[in-house]
Amino acid sequence: MRSINPAIKFVSLLAMTFFLAYRFDPVLNFAVFFLSLVILIASGVGIKRLCLFMIPVLIVAAGMFFTGYRFSAGHSMPVTADAFLVSDSRWWNGLAQAGRVLAYGGLGFVFALTTDRLFLIRSFKDQFHLPQIFVYGLLAAWGIVPHMMQEYKRTRAAFRARGLSVLPVSPALLKPLLIKSVRWSEELAIAMESKGFSGHEKRTDYAPVKVRIRDFFFLAACVALMVAAAFLR
Amino acid sequence: MKTKAWELKDIIMMAILGVVFSAVYLAVFDGGVMLSTLLTPTGLSNFSFEIIYGVWFMAATLAAYIIRKPGVALVTEMLASAIELLMGNSGGLTVVLTGAIQGAGAELVFALFRYKKWDLASMSLAGMLSAVFIFIYELFYLNYIELAPTMLMAQLAVRFVSAIVFSGVICKLAGDGLAKTGVVKSYAIGAKADTGKIYDEEDE
Repeated sequence: MRSINPAIKFVSLLAMTFFLAYRFDPVLNFAVFFLSLVILIASGVGIKRLCLFMIPVLIVAAGMFFTGYRFSAGHSMPVTADAFLVSDSRWWNGLAQAGRVLAYGGLGFVFALTTDRLFLIRSFKDQFHLPQIFVYGLLAAWGIVPHMMQEYKRTRAAFRARGLSVLPVSPALLKPLLIKSVRWSEELAIAMESKGFSGHEKRTDYAPVKVRIRDFFFLAACVALMVAAAFLR
Repeated sequence: MKTKAWELKDIIMMAILGVVFSAVYLAVFDGGVMLSTLLTPTGLSNFSFEIIYGVWFMAATLAAYIIRKPGVALVTEMLASAIELLMGNSGGLTVVLTGAIQGAGAELVFALFRYKKWDLASMSLAGMLSAVFIFIYELFYLNYIELAPTMLMAQLAVRFVSAIVFSGVICKLAGDGLAKTGVVKSYAIGAKADTGKIYDEEDE
């Protein structure tokens, strides 16, 4: 999963999410969710990390289930009684709502946890022709993030050294962080422009990102899954 | 406002705001999840997110308020949602699309004011239109259309209030506070702000 072209991966998974959005089918949704879990584990995402990410998804899914169960709008879902064990419209409504959250979450994690950020930006530049000025801006901002984390920790330590206790999201911590970030971004922009990275000139790449055969295979596999689901269900 | 075209510093600024707000979005999302857990058995867990929904419109209005150029609201909101996705958002890939929809709502309001009116009213309106846009989308995408109409009206009403509080009032205060410190003096918002003497460790 990790070596698949991010732009292709993005389009494929997004198409799949939309496909699910037009089908009110809990069984399919749950199947997609379990498939995403399998893919994630197969591509080397730690079980512990995965569980941590899944907690909010599961809670939201539970919440949606009860919302769908309690506040069902009058008309029933397109389902016949003998096709499913739980055919009661309220149960069905609840499961449909919960299954969607799980399926979308699963597909989202398949993308987020197996994609390198820099690879993604470079791929968007080469495959989707993202303007150069955006590429530089995003890469620069991404480079500032570790500094921001450092600054946040430092400000917190400074408060602690003075014996003051502040909440993790208190304005006392966020204000210096925001001011420093703005200052850094400006200095960085001046530095980059002075070295010719203004985004207005045409530049060449050392290592352009290409679409390879395996990327097409991935796209084809996603399309095949959707077609299969459309016919079988 | 010398030029309407984007410069590199505008884009870095938007990306930085995107990073900051994607962290905020994730933190708030987890807070919302906790709140909704408490409400789950009552079937009202949706409301916990409606109360804080305005937070998700903040990146668009704040960035537009600072930079004041066309397209800023839309793109910043998209950037914030894209970064949120990469940090491990549980809403899935369409979070980028929701970002675009919310950003479009805010952008439309600022465009209607011809990018000339920057006050509490225009920012609150921007947040409210974001709310309407995303609500229409959710009707279909999240299957909300299957829920009872009275429930939906109540949800939208709560979301409006949230939009005004977060993307209107709080963003205005944050933007003005930032302008007062003088760090944004090279952007449109800081051009007119009365900053007095600015202390900088390196120069001046």
